[in-house]
Amino acid sequence: MIPVEDIRARAKDLLQSGKVRAVLGYRRSTAGLLAEPAFMTTADETAALVLDPTCVGNLALYLVNEKKRMKHARQSDKRPLGIVAKGCDSRAITVLLQENHIRRDEVIVLGVSCETGGMIDTRKLNKALRGKGATSAHFEGEGGVRVSYVGGGTILPGKDVLADRCLECAKSYPLDADFFFGEKVDERPYGPRFAAVSAIAEKGSEERSAFWDAHFERCIRCYACRAVCPMCYCDECVVDSTNFIVGPTTSADEKADRVRWINRSATPSENAMYHMVRAMHLAGRCIDCGECERVCPVNIPLRLLNTMLEREALEMFQYTPGIDAEQPSLISSFRDGDPNDFVR
Amino acid sequence: MQDAAAAKHDAQEFEPKVVAFLCKWCSSAGSDLAGVSRLKYPANAVPIQVMCSGSVSPIYILSAFNKGADGVLVSGCHPGDCHYLKGNYYARRRIFLVQKLLQFIGVEPDRFRMSWVSAAEGVKYAEVITDFVNDLKALGPQTKLKAKR
Repeated sequence: MIPVEDIRARAKDLLQSGKVRAVLGYRRSTAGLLAEPAFMTTADETAALVLDPTCVGNLALYLVNEKKRMKHARQSDKRPLGIVAKGCDSRAITVLLQENHIRRDEVIVLGVSCETGGMIDTRKLNKALRGKGATSAHFEGEGGVRVSYVGGGTILPGKDVLADRCLECAKSYPLDADFFFGEKVDERPYGPRFAAVSAIAEKGSEERSAFWDAHFERCIRCYACRAVCPMCYCDECVVDSTNFIVGPTTSADEKADRVRWINRSATPSENAMYHMVRAMHLAGRCIDCGECERVCPVNIPLRLLNTMLEREALEMFQYTPGIDAEQPSLISSFRDGDPNDFVR
Repeated sequence: MQDAAAAKHDAQEFEPKVVAFLCKWCSSAGSDLAGVSRLKYPANAVPIQVMCSGSVSPIYILSAFNKGADGVLVSGCHPGDCHYLKGNYYARRRIFLVQKLLQFIGVEPDRFRMSWVSAAEGVKYAEVITDFVNDLKALGPQTKLKAKR
């Protein structure tokens, strides 16, 4: 079991001693089942800190956002930020460290192991409860989730309600943590890694093509996947060039000559372009937190694209993102033994 | 006999557009050599000279498909011969991933190709283009990633 009391005590201690300017964790949300991310700046606030299967968000995202905010802040508090990190969050932090986006002394990681549990997928949960609205969820024994709803409660097996990414999780505990809570569990009672992506990869080319066409057609280009991704931290994204300012003196030629790699229109071809470019940009960086897929309002299985490249990176280049901040990144390194057969 | 001739005629109706990203130091010189040696090869490829195959961003490739290419070729120096010493090794890794991604999305594997062509291999360049164009003719036009305008 994950000792929430210990995490609270540690967070309280860090804030009281002034070692951190804030602790980034989860607290009960006022809307819905899922816990919400919270910046806790006073020791009292840490009493509200929770950790249960509803803490789905990837908190590493807020390190990136906080960095952007700090850049424009009038006064900056140089003290580090405490962050509660699950296995996947901690891998995201490692990638950010690897890319020198943040420094190691800027964060104090309160690492939490998910042990044999994981985070729930609300879509699966709603299906399992058949319309009963869940009010809380807690870990229960070996891979079970105790769910309560108005007028009752039940224990559901983890494999039915946990998010796909948790079922396929490679490391359910953080590798790089200043404080560690829970136990390191390597044997998890769920399916193999890359199960979802293998199922799609085994289909024929035409079937896959139709599958993705149907999904890309639905994309409304809300960019929620980009907004929620801790790795999508570019100031300017390739899909919306913000540095091209159209003013009264901008000539028609200048407007025409502007490079538009991807149009903004939500048409199938442009959507396919956008998602493929995003997948390429996340190759070797995506740590499979599955947030893009969770926030997608039209249920596009975006995680498949990223895990497909993650699988290729692992199988062909023996590269795992987010395990070592010192390793060179996937596409800024090479080996003599890289596959060469595909080249004519 | 007549059927074969008719089929051949039909196949020739479609002339695929190929965008070829050629590195300045090897493949581009190789294509020049094919030209000055008066080798016969299909005129479907639009060569785009880039400084190094390692400088070909995945978005160039996707954008070429988006703007109507039926096939995209990236060609660079043989491993070990890169003018910038290791650009083509980076390219190889990156292009491999692009290729896997295109296949995963459901684009035919034959639409995207990488080749090593040195400055002395005019014959090989002609061969690569000929093979590519023939394969593309069999596949027909690329519609999946092409923007509808």
